[in-house]
Amino acid sequence: MRSRTARTSTAQLVALTDHAAPWGWAGAALVAAACAPLLLGAFGLNLLISIYVLGIGVLGLNLLSGVAGQISLGHAGFLLIGAYAQAILTTTYKLPTLPSIALAGLVAAAASLVVGVPSLRLKGLYLAITTLAFTFIVRHVVLFAEGLTRGSEGMPVEPLAVAGFSFKGDQRFYYAALAMLVLFVLVTLNLMRTRIGRAWLAVRDHDIAARAMGIDLTRYKLLAFMVSAFYAGVAGAMVALQTRFINVDTFSVLVSIEALAMVIVGGMGRVHGALLGTALIVLLPETLSFVFALGGDGLKTLMADRIYEVKGLMYGVVILLFLRLEPEGLAGVWRKVKRYWVQWPLSQ
Amino acid sequence: MNYFLNLVTSGLVIGALYGLVAMGFAIVYRATGMVNFAQGEVMMLVAYTAFSLTTIPGLPFALLLPLVLAASVLIGLVIERVFIRPMLGEPMFSRVMVTIGLAVVIRSTVILIWGVEPAAFPRPFGSEPLRFWGLALYPGQIFAVVSLALLCAGMAVFFRRSRIGIAMRATSNNETTALLMGIDVRRISAIAWALSAVFAAFAGLSFCLMFSLEPEISQMGLRGFPATILGGLDSVVGGALGGLIIGVVENLAGGYLGRGLKEIAGFVLIVAVLMVRPYGLFGQREIERV
Repeated sequence: MRSRTARTSTAQLVALTDHAAPWGWAGAALVAAACAPLLLGAFGLNLLISIYVLGIGVLGLNLLSGVAGQISLGHAGFLLIGAYAQAILTTTYKLPTLPSIALAGLVAAAASLVVGVPSLRLKGLYLAITTLAFTFIVRHVVLFAEGLTRGSEGMPVEPLAVAGFSFKGDQRFYYAALAMLVLFVLVTLNLMRTRIGRAWLAVRDHDIAARAMGIDLTRYKLLAFMVSAFYAGVAGAMVALQTRFINVDTFSVLVSIEALAMVIVGGMGRVHGALLGTALIVLLPETLSFVFALGGDGLKTLMADRIYEVKGLMYGVVILLFLRLEPEGLAGVWRKVKRYWVQWPLSQ
Repeated sequence: MNYFLNLVTSGLVIGALYGLVAMGFAIVYRATGMVNFAQGEVMMLVAYTAFSLTTIPGLPFALLLPLVLAASVLIGLVIERVFIRPMLGEPMFSRVMVTIGLAVVIRSTVILIWGVEPAAFPRPFGSEPLRFWGLALYPGQIFAVVSLALLCAGMAVFFRRSRIGIAMRATSNNETTALLMGIDVRRISAIAWALSAVFAAFAGLSFCLMFSLEPEISQMGLRGFPATILGGLDSVVGGALGGLIIGVVENLAGGYLGRGLKEIAGFVLIVAVLMVRPYGLFGQREIERV
């Protein structure tokens, strides 16, 4: 295990990784993920699918909030747009499912211009509130554009099929979700080492200074919004394919907060952090209900009756604890653990 | 014409409620430079506490109001001490996220304790509408408008004349300089949170007197955002005015343009206003150094 490496050239700084160890870790994780369906039942498999699918969206939010530094409370809106685009394109217009996933992402990216354009003039909290407004507007449009979205009834979604091969069934869809996640992780890692990714980091650290150094703010802020919304749109489409039925409550306003919780818990701006954060937040309610089940009938009925509130309470507490105790998130914990072992017995 | 007048009046009444919420936001922003996303939830907590107080038999309303205000000050101080103060010096993003986390925690806890069923809040001023020149106003609505007017005037004087108000303005202008001038910045922050909880108390009581006690009250926090933004985050009196404007616009949009538009008219309006004036109507432009 390594804790740090001295870098002496730009080429080393922008390399995907400078050491064999991360490839080893990634390979091990991939093999474990590929073998998971052999060991897990339908319930466990569905949880993993949720982690992969939401992970895509959280990677996108992480690019926007963690890397480019623009707070968004509107990701529930982008997810909703992606899910509805998928449903409308495949059920109403009978498009093939795979291209329509990409189209769903593009539709969300186009919609992101609604908040992206004001974001050029807004900063920080004003921006956060505008993105929140965006979620409300999207919900409204979905509810009242009944000709297109069937309003509050919700819409069924066709299962994923590629060139005649159907990904119906948990096991098959699991591999599709895994492949999609791996694709997006690779895209993200590569994006972050290009000019675009480094420009975003500069915008996050200080946008006026970045502009003085020749970074076109208009272009890179809009790009951050569009790329992030594209990720969220794809994630929304994948959630629609997983649940096979969507309505306006599939992504409530709480989802935006949940997504931010995932980014914070994982560690802002880190790819592996985003995935770890997603896994933790998705698995937490399940762990909690398991613990509650052990705690007797009173707690069990509380969990059953008030699942929404118990979950909300838990997200809130987790956000508060991480912000207070470990602002770097799980990625920071991982870094500290590595350091501890490398420097042992001199570690402190 | 009568339809129009009625829409405007009820818009002003609901706008007074938004204004109270917006002033609560603005006062915290003024003193600490952060937005309290838990404002609606504080309002909810105070309203439910007030409801529990009304179940004490034989308690007159004249006594209820001071008790609720005392409770709200206490709630504000506890929140500031336990959640906000330890985050002093952290990046703004983390500090705002704390209030978002807090919002979820308070809402869930309140629902876990008091349940989701709406409850009828007592009507100490009766439930007969009073008539003014053909317009009917319920006592709860009058309570909202009168509290907004009084608090608004009070705040204008407070920020111009009182020592604490001036210290608060100094703190929001530059924390370090204020500290050097001998202002106890931590005390200012505590006072701001307590005051904002008092605004939440008035907003919560108005809501309960107009409608009923229900978990949706926490939504008022989110729905008060357009008012806050329209007035400018750092302008307390602007927030009140922003609330009135948003209330009227929402009502007119709902009345003339169609169903459902009422809920989002405010949000659409601020997205448009922010494109033209990024710091709201009355907000101060921030000048930054690199």
